[in-house]
Amino acid sequence: MADLHLMDAFHVSGVSVRYKDKTAISDVSFEATSGEIIGFIGADGAGKSSLMQAIAGVVRFSGEISYLGQSYHSPKEAEKIKIHTGFMPQGIGLVLYDTLTVDEHLRFFADLRDLKKDAEFLAYKKQLLHMSGLSEFVDRQAMNLSGGMMQKLSLICALLHRPKLLILDEPTTGVDPLSRLELWEILRNIAKEEGTIILVSTAYMQEASKMDRVLLFHNSKVIASGTSAELIDSIRPFVYEKSLLYKDENSLNFDETSYSLTPLQSALKEPTLEGLFFVNALKENKNIAEFVINKKENDEVIPEVVMECHGVSKQFGSFIANKEIDMKLKKGEILGLLGANGAGKTTFIKMLLGLYSIDEGELTLLGKPIKSGKDRQELKSKIGYVSQHFALYKDMSVKENLLYFASMHRIDKKAALSRIALYAKELGFEEYLGSFANELPLGVNQRFSIAAALLHEPLVLFLDEPTSGVDTLARAQFWQILGKLKEIWGISILITTHYMSEAQFCDRVVLLKNGQKVADDTVINLYKRFPQAQSFEDIFLEFYKEKG
Amino acid sequence: MKSFVRFSVIKAFVLKELTELVRTKLIIMVYMMPSMVTILFGYGIAMDVTHSRISIIDNDNSKYSSELISKFSHSKYFDVTLTHESEAEALEAIKKAQSDIVLIIPSSFEKNLLKGQKSELGVFIDAAFANRASTMQNYVQGVIQSAATTSAPMITLNTRTLFNQAMRDEDAIVPGLIGLVLLVAPAILTALLIVKEKEKGTIFNFYASPIGKLEFLIAKLLPVLMLHSLNIFILFIWATYLFDVPFRGSFFLYWLSSEIYILISLSIGMLISIIAKRQIVAVVLTVIITILPAFLYSGMLMPISSMQGISWVEAHIFPVMYYNHILYDTFLIGQGFDSPKIVLYLCILIGYVVALLGLGALFLKKEMR
Repeated sequence: MADLHLMDAFHVSGVSVRYKDKTAISDVSFEATSGEIIGFIGADGAGKSSLMQAIAGVVRFSGEISYLGQSYHSPKEAEKIKIHTGFMPQGIGLVLYDTLTVDEHLRFFADLRDLKKDAEFLAYKKQLLHMSGLSEFVDRQAMNLSGGMMQKLSLICALLHRPKLLILDEPTTGVDPLSRLELWEILRNIAKEEGTIILVSTAYMQEASKMDRVLLFHNSKVIASGTSAELIDSIRPFVYEKSLLYKDENSLNFDETSYSLTPLQSALKEPTLEGLFFVNALKENKNIAEFVINKKENDEVIPEVVMECHGVSKQFGSFIANKEIDMKLKKGEILGLLGANGAGKTTFIKMLLGLYSIDEGELTLLGKPIKSGKDRQELKSKIGYVSQHFALYKDMSVKENLLYFASMHRIDKKAALSRIALYAKELGFEEYLGSFANELPLGVNQRFSIAAALLHEPLVLFLDEPTSGVDTLARAQFWQILGKLKEIWGISILITTHYMSEAQFCDRVVLLKNGQKVADDTVINLYKRFPQAQSFEDIFLEFYKEKG
Repeated sequence: MKSFVRFSVIKAFVLKELTELVRTKLIIMVYMMPSMVTILFGYGIAMDVTHSRISIIDNDNSKYSSELISKFSHSKYFDVTLTHESEAEALEAIKKAQSDIVLIIPSSFEKNLLKGQKSELGVFIDAAFANRASTMQNYVQGVIQSAATTSAPMITLNTRTLFNQAMRDEDAIVPGLIGLVLLVAPAILTALLIVKEKEKGTIFNFYASPIGKLEFLIAKLLPVLMLHSLNIFILFIWATYLFDVPFRGSFFLYWLSSEIYILISLSIGMLISIIAKRQIVAVVLTVIITILPAFLYSGMLMPISSMQGISWVEAHIFPVMYYNHILYDTFLIGQGFDSPKIVLYLCILIGYVVALLGLGALFLKKEMR
């Protein structure tokens, strides 16, 4: 007798994916039933994408996956279930063709699946277009869509053939918060109405509450699974109000919270999902060192206002990247520049650095008005910059890379070597000094990139999305370093990020939306302005909902 | 496994490719490149030398010497100037690049010839460009020999005839260019169409959907075949009208063999797209793999029959030689299907198509690597 439950279910048992000698994900097992939304949460490189690709049947794996009673062990065997699956790989608009319009995409994807274009199909297509808010844009080419619209289009293209198993790899990453809410609404509807099993990965912890069940990924393993509430409950006994009294290898402090495996004196605190990663690190007995930052070698006087600009604008063709932005960065301040992808954060930082010319507006850096490239020349030694995609020379060791950066700033070799040794110790990448740049874990790479930017002891740091894709733990460590730098060196930091939760670490935040500044205030003041907001995400959403 | 091929899926893909090609303006390259290469090279690689400026110093002023001069005057290869300058002055003109050749006829030219004695003509050639110089030298020898045999039949000259008289350069080069272009251009376009999807990420639409490998291959190759089929006619027009190359053979044979040849080119592009992950790599690889053999073994630079050893083997490995043989036949000779060699070569070309497409279908995988 056929087991109906088994026929309906989706099973993954003992699945591992290996690339040459690297294990991308090892030994994952879970199951799902119709209408369930299963979330994969974890940092870049934790193995989420590899597992999704294995399930979608586009990469070789070991282990067994079965769906509707049909099991498969390789991409070839997976062919038979592909009529039931929809897969949306990671990357904004990745599966879209730049020059095709929205309508042409829908027609193409329908033909790919050999769908009959009957009344039912047309009605469903109309419904999808309506749901995604793309009805008015059917004639627009994909390259002219915003990131959020591209993701929504990719999603409805994957939904056209009414898949029973939907695999979505980070559909919301880098998308503006409003579009993210809309995407989730579509997913919820699909799961409910079509009974689709939805596997969705995300880098945003906050989205966990929208999933029926969560798998937490860390270092190629699934470290926990369950509902969001179950997961939070599981670490409840280990989370305390910040306690400075007691410290050993079984505890660590981060941002007003202490995590400890052994009981502490202070009161218990409501845990967050992020806490799972800290507790996991403690359980794995990982050494999470506190960072020590020493005073700078050369003490220079830092002006009270480090950077000031008025009416700065930038236009690329007909696209306005930045419009009349006023901003002020004070001495010893961490200023967060927040916004969705394409909001103009990177363009703004590049203009400050002189990597893009300023179309209009005035800029004063370290008390000096910037009129030409010449004005910048002598300031270069006072500014540190870490770009979005920090570029290292892959065939040089970390130490050689750092020496190269030092020589670019004309620091003599002796001083450079001693500083490199010091930073390596302080920032905890001593053991990696001899390894090649492409062998570094992402989190270490981040710390090392900041070391490169600090070698010449700048007065101000510009950081462009340094925490993007980095795991929770490494991000926490990174913010710790920034805090200490501000405290001990007294330098100012301008940092961009699309993680709204990081706003709390900034002294002041500036919100950008479509190239315009929509808010500029301290985090506390913003919470006062929107008392109903649960998190900074909600505040950000308020600004995005406003018209204009 | 499903073995049938669905028309609607292929149609969707082909339509998408064509739309993209037009909107990205890549279509311009599809038609510009083959014609440009043909026209540029067709005019550019002129191997023969016409209108070389020859200064003749006639110290004899006899019947024979004026007959010799008139031979030069009637040749399209020479522009004759009779001068009475001294030898030194005439040589100075070469130095100043006002003249290419100086021919000095000695005063006893006719007398010696009639007496049956040896007579020496002085020839000076500007050899700044070695190839051009040796060509000019051959032409000069040719004219003198032909003059010697017609005007003074009692004189027999014991030299080989080096003069390439009737063969026009265009006739030798332009068909070869068609063989070059039709190997390179479709291969590049095919490689680009597939690798573009890999680079962008849209290849997942193929990997993750139930489209068959065969459907994908047909969908990718068909648009290129369609677009480049038009080039068969365009290039034919350039060859026959612009370069005045005669066409003596069967047009059907020309068309058929060209289509087969394009299929070979497509298959090469497809094989490259299986290895390459980036468009730039795909283009460079295709150019290296196709252009070099297409040039070397086209028969343009060196006849295959005169190749020996490894170069002979290599020439027979690449499909260029077989196609070019058919091309030269259709343009210049016109044996067509009557020649068993041509039928054999056509079969060999078909063999290439089957083998290369088979390899492609074998190595193409619906998974990431």
